[in-house]
This record gives sequence, C-alpha cells and structure tokens, in this order.
Amino acid sequence: MKIQISEVCKTFKELTVVDQLSFEVEPGKIVGLLGPNGAGKTTTIRMILDILKPDRGQITFDGQTVNRHIRNRIGYLPEERGLYQKFKVMDVIWYFGRLKNLPKRKSHIEAIRLLDAFKMIDYVDEPIGHLSKGTQQKLQFLVCLIHNPDILIMDEPMASLDPINQQLIRTKILQLRDEGKTILLSTHQLLEAENLCDYFVLIDHGKVVLQGALPQIQKNYDQNMMVIETKQDPGLLRGIAGIRKIERRDSALYLLLDKNAQSKEIMQKIIQKIDVSRLEVYKPSLHDIFMQTIKGTH
Amino acid sequence: MKQFFVITWWEFVRQFKSRSFLLATFISPLVFAALMFIPTLYMEDPSINRLKIIGCMEFDTTGICRNIRQRFVELNADSPLQSFIQLITIRTDTSASMKNRFNLTRRSKSRLDSLDNNYNRIKERRKYVFQKPEGASREQELKATYDELLQIREARDLAELDYRRMDQETDSLWRLETIRHADDLLRSSKMEGYLLIDQINFSEGIIEFHSLLPSNFLQIDPVKQAVQVVVVEQRLKNEGLRVDKIQEWLEPLIFREIQMQGEEKQEFNFLINYLGPIVIVLFLFISIFTSSGFLFSGVLKEKSNRVIELLLSSVSYTQLIAGKIFGLGLLGIFQVLIWFSLTLLLASLNILNTSEITFLTFGNAGLFLLYFLLGYLFFASIFVGIGSLFSHEEDAHHLNQFMRMLSIFPIVLAVLVLDTPNSLLVRILSFIPPLTPTFMILRIPLGSPPVEDYYISIGIMIISILLAIILAGRLFKVGSLIYGKKPTFREIIRIAFNLH
Repeated sequence: MKIQISEVCKTFKELTVVDQLSFEVEPGKIVGLLGPNGAGKTTTIRMILDILKPDRGQITFDGQTVNRHIRNRIGYLPEERGLYQKFKVMDVIWYFGRLKNLPKRKSHIEAIRLLDAFKMIDYVDEPIGHLSKGTQQKLQFLVCLIHNPDILIMDEPMASLDPINQQLIRTKILQLRDEGKTILLSTHQLLEAENLCDYFVLIDHGKVVLQGALPQIQKNYDQNMMVIETKQDPGLLRGIAGIRKIERRDSALYLLLDKNAQSKEIMQKIIQKIDVSRLEVYKPSLHDIFMQTIKGTH
Repeated sequence: MKQFFVITWWEFVRQFKSRSFLLATFISPLVFAALMFIPTLYMEDPSINRLKIIGCMEFDTTGICRNIRQRFVELNADSPLQSFIQLITIRTDTSASMKNRFNLTRRSKSRLDSLDNNYNRIKERRKYVFQKPEGASREQELKATYDELLQIREARDLAELDYRRMDQETDSLWRLETIRHADDLLRSSKMEGYLLIDQINFSEGIIEFHSLLPSNFLQIDPVKQAVQVVVVEQRLKNEGLRVDKIQEWLEPLIFREIQMQGEEKQEFNFLINYLGPIVIVLFLFISIFTSSGFLFSGVLKEKSNRVIELLLSSVSYTQLIAGKIFGLGLLGIFQVLIWFSLTLLLASLNILNTSEITFLTFGNAGLFLLYFLLGYLFFASIFVGIGSLFSHEEDAHHLNQFMRMLSIFPIVLAVLVLDTPNSLLVRILSFIPPLTPTFMILRIPLGSPPVEDYYISIGIMIISILLAIILAGRLFKVGSLIYGKKPTFREIIRIAFNLH
C-alpha cells in the first residue's frame, strides 16, 4: 500500500509545524523520516495515522483517504513506550489485536505466534511490569505487528535496545520490507537509518529540505573532500593549491577542496609534502549531510 | 462500533480486576459501616457496659435515696439502662469509735436535757412561789430559788455548749468518715459514682454527684431524671398535694412521631428517614468517584506512557472516550448492584431490617439509579477532559483533589435538604448540575419533590452532560497529544471554549 503525502500543512495557533510537505512511501521500501527536534516529524506521523487532521493537503493510501479499513492495516510503534504495566503480556497483545479488528480467537493465536517468534513465549502470563525494559520494547514492537499490517510506522524503533535485540528488530524490519510492507521510520540514529532505509526524507521547520535514496543524496552533497591521517604538522599543507579549508575531526584531517580541483593532483602534492598513514577521497555520510543541511537552514 | 465495545469491555475488566475496585467496593463500605456502627456496638457491648453502680448517700432518715432508686426503676422499666445502672444506698459510718462518739454525744444530750428539766422545774417552782401572798418566807424562798436558778442555768448553758460542740464534731466526723468510705469505694472501682444528698440542699434542688471518670458524668442523665422526679414530688407533697395523684401526674409521656410521605403516613425513624438518604447518597458518590477516579488516572497513565497514541492510531477520539466512559459506567452500576445484592442478602439473613426502609421502593431505586447515571456521566466527562491535559500524575494531583472536594461539596450542603427538602432555595440548588444528583437523591425520600422538579432536573442534567462531553472532547483532542508542560487554568478554558 503506497502512502502519498501531498502538500500537507498543519498549523497550531500561529505556528506552522508542517508546511507544504510532500513525499511518498512505496511498498517494499523503508523510508526514513529525518529531522532535528521540532522539525515536524511527530506531527507528520500523527497526520498519517489520522490522529491529527491536516489543515491543507492530502494524505492518501493507494489513492484513498484514510478510512476504518486502512486504519486497521497500519501498525504503529510510538517513540516513548509503555504498556499497561499491571496486565499480562497475552491480555495486552490480545487487546490491541482486537482494536485492530482481529477476531477474538485469531488475536489470541497471532499473539502466541508472535511471542514464539520473538522467543517471548515464556512471558505469556507475566505482568508487563515484571519484564525488563528491553523485553518491554520488544513486546511493543510485537504489538505493532499483531494484525500483520501492510503499513508500518515506527518512531525510533531501536531506542534503548541492547545490540542483540537491535539486531533482532533490524532483521525483522528488513524481512517485513522484503515481504512488501510499506515502512516509514522516524529516527535520530542516522547510522541506523543509513543501514536500514532505502529512501530518506529530511525535514526541517515542517518542510522537506532533502529527499532521495542515499547514493543520490551523497552525489548531490559530494563536496569534493579528502581525509588524511598524519603525525606531521597540518600547516605544511597550506601552500597546496586547491585546498580551501582544513578541519580536524578526532585524529583525522578533513580537507575541503575547491569545486573544480583535481583530486589526483592534490593527492600527489600531499604525499610529496608529508608522510600520511591514510589518504582517501571522502564520501559524505548521512550524518554529514544531515548536519550540513540543517546548519545551512538555520 | 465493534472497537467501542472492545474498549468498554477492556476498561470494565481492567478496573474490575484491580485492587482499588475491591477496596472501594468492599472495604470502603465496611469502613463506613464500622464508623457508623462501632459506637452502637460500644454501647451494646456488655464488657464495656458492665454494671455501673451509683451510690446514694444521705445524712438523715428521710429515705430520699430509697425514693430515687424506686423512681429510677419505674422510669427506666423498658430501658436497657436499668440492667447496667444500679442505684445503692451507701451505709453511713457505724464503726465502734463512731458508736462511742455517738454515745458520748447522747450522754451529753441527756445531761443537757436533765439540766434543762431541772431549770424548768425551778422556774415553775418560782412561778408558784411568786403567786403566794407577800411575806418574808416568800421573799426568802424566791431568793433561794433564784440562786439555785442561776446556778443551774450556768450549768445548763455550759452543758448546752458542750453538747452543741460535741454534736457538731460528731456530725462532721460522721460525714467525713462516710464520704471517705464512699471515696474509697470509688477508688477501688466498687462503684462509678455517688449522689450526696443533704436535706437542706435537697429541698433547694441541689444534689452533688461525685465520680472519678469524666464519662460517668455523661451517663448520669437517667439518674438525674429520677432525682428530678423525687424533688418535684417532695415539693408537691410540701404543698399538701396527694401522693397518689403526684405519681399519676409524673407518669412519663409517650410521644409518637408520624411522618406524612405523599399519600402515606408512617412512624418517623431518625436513623432510617434522616440518615438513610445520606447513606444512599454517600454510597452512590463512592461509586461515582471510584469510576470517575479510574477514568481520570487511567487517561493520565495512558497519556504518560504514550499508550493513548497507540489507541488513537486504532480508534477515533469519540470511540475512545465513549468506550472508556461507558465501560467505567458499567463498572459503577455493577458496584451499586453488588451493594444492592449485599443489602438483599443481609435482609434475607435478618441482619438488616429493610421492611422499615419504606422509601426504598422499586420506583425510587430506579430514580436513584437514573440520577446516579446522570451524575456519573457529568463528572466522568469532566474528569476525562481534565485528565487528558496532564502528562504526569503528580501534576494532576492537586487538581484532582480540588475537583473531588468540589464534588463532595453537595454532600456538605445535604443538611439544607434534610431540613427543608422542598424549600425554594433547595429547589433552585437542585437545578445546578453538580448539585442535582445529590439533592434529588436526598429529596426523593425526604420530601416527595413535585413532578416538574424531576423533569427540570433531568433535562438540565442531560443538557449539562452533552455540554460537558463536547468540552471534554475538545480538551481530550488537544490535551491527549500535549506533553511536557502543565496547562494553566486559562489554557484549559481557552481549549474548552475554542478561544484563540
């Protein structure tokens, strides 16, 4: 099921939180919705979930506006999590299954199936409050899948999970993508997003500032950079033509080159001047792009 | 619609299984009943109400103590008081030393009497001599008897002084010794107190009661009543009235109180007719606040752990609010039904006499339930709206307390209804939504309100509930998604009334 967000706007009092936002989420793809705090990610997600109504614009699912049937095809994992602490694991999963219109028996069977798949079957009769935080997180992920949704909307799915459980959830998300589910993922963990997402939508101040697949974005943001590691004085590089700026990050030096500078020539000049233990053309990471883009808009 | 029932069922089961519900349903009424009945049990407990012995002490032989005892028994012939208050006459001091003292006083009195006789005899003789014709022998005889008279008068005056002193001393000593004896009985807990009767004081209506424990002063009323009767009797007797007539006149009154209720009349019973409706109101309010409280804290918790977002991604706001209110309303009705069943159970076991609660008819029970539902829906809507504005229970705590106090306020005003159930003021107050359920539930058994009052109050409640639901819906829609900051009163009003 394809989600299409077209020129959506949302204003609270006089503050425009989402402004002419447009992007698409295709089935079988994981779209990462990125942006700094207050960029409008949560409001966008809430509008997709029909918790909030857009003031203008349209959100469609395979061309249809949201209805009860579509609602029941969406699985949502909110950012901050907590379930009914005093209730048994089975009862809570069953309840959310019922809310997604699953018949009583099917809700029960699906709960057992998922608990087993996530190796949580032993907790079936445990009150949620007795489980560790990580297990509760996994349980919430499981609640989001109880009705086998076509669309998955997840806000920080890896937050506060240990590496083993992160891997488990990551594998499951990729598996769901391969099954053709439509997945929208909002996260601050850019490295995680890089590993998981096929497409990125970077928003700031409610507007899309950048969107596309990673190689395409990287290409657009390729700023002709080099990274070197040396024990010698970086001041020796100052005389080399084509180097615009030298920046130290941790143990490495990042060299920003002139737009039309020839990397090969500059590399040779560097080797002639100083001893280097590392020298490579630098491809900007999602983090760099994110930082530069956001910095540029502020 | 299906999801509405799922939420209703979930809310019902979720709270039904909770410890708080069990506490509110079974422990609260028990505590409440205990608060009401412990004083009664205390009064009826034979170990606490052991036989209280009240002494009576008099220093003459007029038999006042006997009369008081007799009157006490007569006045309390049908009362349990008689079985645990016993009046006894305290014997005065008759010890050997006291007897010896009495003998000495008596002897002194005999001596005085003998001297007095002699003195009178000499005076008579002198009178006789004085009547004789004048002469030397008469003069001589008068002179001789005069000397004798002087002598004996002096001896008599001295004897009298001696006797008076001795008599006073003996009397004081006797009183002192007797009071000391009575005080010893008090200290050794052989009696709870004693009446001290002095003939002169008694005729003026002054009687002393001595005791150790303050509580005994509170329990002396029935004895006081008996003393009062004896004092009045004595005064009437002094006025020359017939004793049998006096007793007839002093027969206690039988005062029958008949209350008119609509077309029917029945004997007034303070506990049932006055306190009964308050008890019903209190129970219904316990139920309303148990359910509304669950609603309030439930919404707050769901908001603080973001479950509310999960719920809203599956159901609409209307379904969610309606499901919650309906589910917890069912819980309230269920709670009332549990209490009703328990009442029937107690009645069938003859522990509770429901036949005397004449106002508890099926018609009235239906009206109570209707006003309970209206009250619940009104308060629940307000609680759900306000609850959704807060992110943490601590933030909402003060507001919750304030709202509870505000809701208990009608019960405080209940006295007004008890006194004048159909007065203009009470009627007007009955039409103010937060007061309507309490006031109407109280008025039904107390004053049979006019039919139009039912229509007006129900109409006002329905309109108020609809308004409260609309406002709560607005608050919930905005409030359930706001995190972090505590809303101010102005903000709450602004959101509720859509002000910008």
